[in-house]
Formats: sequence, C-alpha cells, structure tokens
Amino acid sequence: MAWTFLWLSLLCVGGGVGVIPEMQRQVVLNHQWVTAREFVDGYTLAQLTPGPNMLIAAFVGYRAHGVPGALLATVAMFLPTSVVTVVVADRWQRWRGHRWAAAVERALAPVGMGLMAAGVYTLAQSALHDTLTAALALIAALALAVRWGPPMLVVVVAGLAGWLLGA
Amino acid sequence: MQLTRVFTWTGILSIGGGRAAFFYEALVVRRRWLRTEEFVQDYTLAQLLPGPNVSNLAITLGHRLRGLPGAGWALLAVIVPGLAVLLVLATIYFGRGLAPATVSLMHGMSAAVVGLLLVTSIRLMRPVLVNARAVVIAVGTFAAVGPLRLNTALVLLAGAALSVWLHRPGPRA
Repeated sequence: MAWTFLWLSLLCVGGGVGVIPEMQRQVVLNHQWVTAREFVDGYTLAQLTPGPNMLIAAFVGYRAHGVPGALLATVAMFLPTSVVTVVVADRWQRWRGHRWAAAVERALAPVGMGLMAAGVYTLAQSALHDTLTAALALIAALALAVRWGPPMLVVVVAGLAGWLLGA
Repeated sequence: MQLTRVFTWTGILSIGGGRAAFFYEALVVRRRWLRTEEFVQDYTLAQLLPGPNVSNLAITLGHRLRGLPGAGWALLAVIVPGLAVLLVLATIYFGRGLAPATVSLMHGMSAAVVGLLLVTSIRLMRPVLVNARAVVIAVGTFAAVGPLRLNTALVLLAGAALSVWLHRPGPRA
C-alpha cells in the first residue's frame, strides 16, 4: 500500500485532480481496498475537510487497515515528495539571482496560471451541476471581489444557502 | 510562532478545495508578507514538482518566509488537522453513513469555492499576463489540460520547455 500511494503521489503534477482516475483504478480495481461508491464519497469528504484533498489516501488506508493504514498511506503520500520540494525550494533560493533562473521563473509563471485556470474549470464541472450552484458560485465570486468578508465566511454562508435551498 | 499559527488556521479554514485561494488571501492580501509575483513563483514551483499541490505550496511558502523550519512547520500545519478530522469522518462514514443534509451543505460550499478560485486566479494573473507571449502560453496550457483533457504531466513538460525557450535570456551584452 505504501508503494501504491508513493507512486500516486509522484503522479500529482499540476493539480491533484489529474491523479484521481489512476488512484481509483489502483485502490478500487487492483487492490479492492474500497468500493467505487466509497471512493467517490471519500473524495467528497476529503474536499470537505481541511487540508489537502489527497488526504483521501488516509480514508482509503483507514478502510483497508484501520488507523495504522491511514497513517501509513498519509506518510507515503506526502513525505517523499515533500522532501523533494524542500530540497528544490532550498536550492532555488540560492540560484535565484542567476539570469537563467530569472528567465525560468518568468517562463513558468504563465504555465502555472494556465494550470490554475484549468483547475477552476475542472472543479466547476463537478461542482456546478444546476442553476442554483452556478448562482452560488457567482455570488461568492462577487462577495470576495468586493471584500464583503473573509473567504471562509463566504463558503459557510454558501453552504447554509445550499442546505436551505436543497442544492 | 506566528507563521505556524497562520498556516494552521489557513489550513483548517480552507475547506472545500481550492486551498491556494485561501493562502493567497491570508498571506498576500491580508498580511502582505509576500508580493503577488512571489506567490505566483511559489505556486508555479509547487505545481511543477511532483506531490500534492497544497503540501508543496505550504512548503515553498513556508521556506520563503522562514527557511527550512518554516517549510517543516507549514507542512505539518496543513496536514495534521485535516488528517484528524478526516479520520473522525471516516469512522462515522464506515460506521453508520452520512445524512443527506450534509450533502446539500457540501454542494453549496463547493460551489462557493469555485467562485473564490475564479477571483483569486484573476488577481494572480494580472502581474503575470503582461505580454502576448505569456497570454498565449497560459491560454494554451489551460486549453490542453482543461477542455481538451490531455495528460497533465505531458502538457506541463512540453509547455514548460517551450516557455523557457521563448523566455531564454538574450546573449550577454
């Protein structure tokens, strides 16, 4: 199981959403740690809870082997790639003054922005399934744009509205 | 330590996906610890490196602000609270299931997160998309990964290579 999640964590390039199909194939079909229904519910729960969505690894690990399974899956998912990121971030701080480093930073920023927009697009497709949810998204965007309140408050109010209106 | 507190709160409060939006709000808009350009650099680095984005983003931001200890605390701050909550929810879920009202609540919240992400993306893009070259690269990446559903890792490698080539420094003066 540790190897499976380590493999999946390496595939998480540019947005965790891209790794979901492969994760489903591994944990539902290959290893049968959870059913397809449990996997979808687990992903929704991971979205609802604080922290990265990839904590779904803990959900799957818990189903397979209880709390030790959850901890093992989490460590496999986060620790190795985090070490890589720390090392690269550390090196990068030192290279930053170099002219090629500056060029690379300028070059990568638009790629990152394109990915972010694609992430919004993908999330919108799964989250906005009727007029009500689309309207809530629009109102939330306006509320943040005019600095009506902190983002968390906007999200909670929208949640309550969804609950009252039966989203 | 103030950094750990801010990251923990942001980690806890950023429910429903789209965590980058919450970090941007907390670190750049509210506290002005970073400039938008710096946030964009860290965000892009976090995306390009393998591993879950949110943990990578917390690490790069924490590292920029406080070096190695900052990176370590930022990582723990975003993972541990969520892990605890998710374990409790998993126990309930596999025990007796969730009520339908919870699902409606979740739908409303994830809709709002799409709105938040939209506003944050627009704010982040302003200092980046300053010339036609940057706009073309961003639109191309978006189209390939979003509507066209091409393999993200491949698009990323190709897009990054092409963009670096287009942005290569000129010959030394």
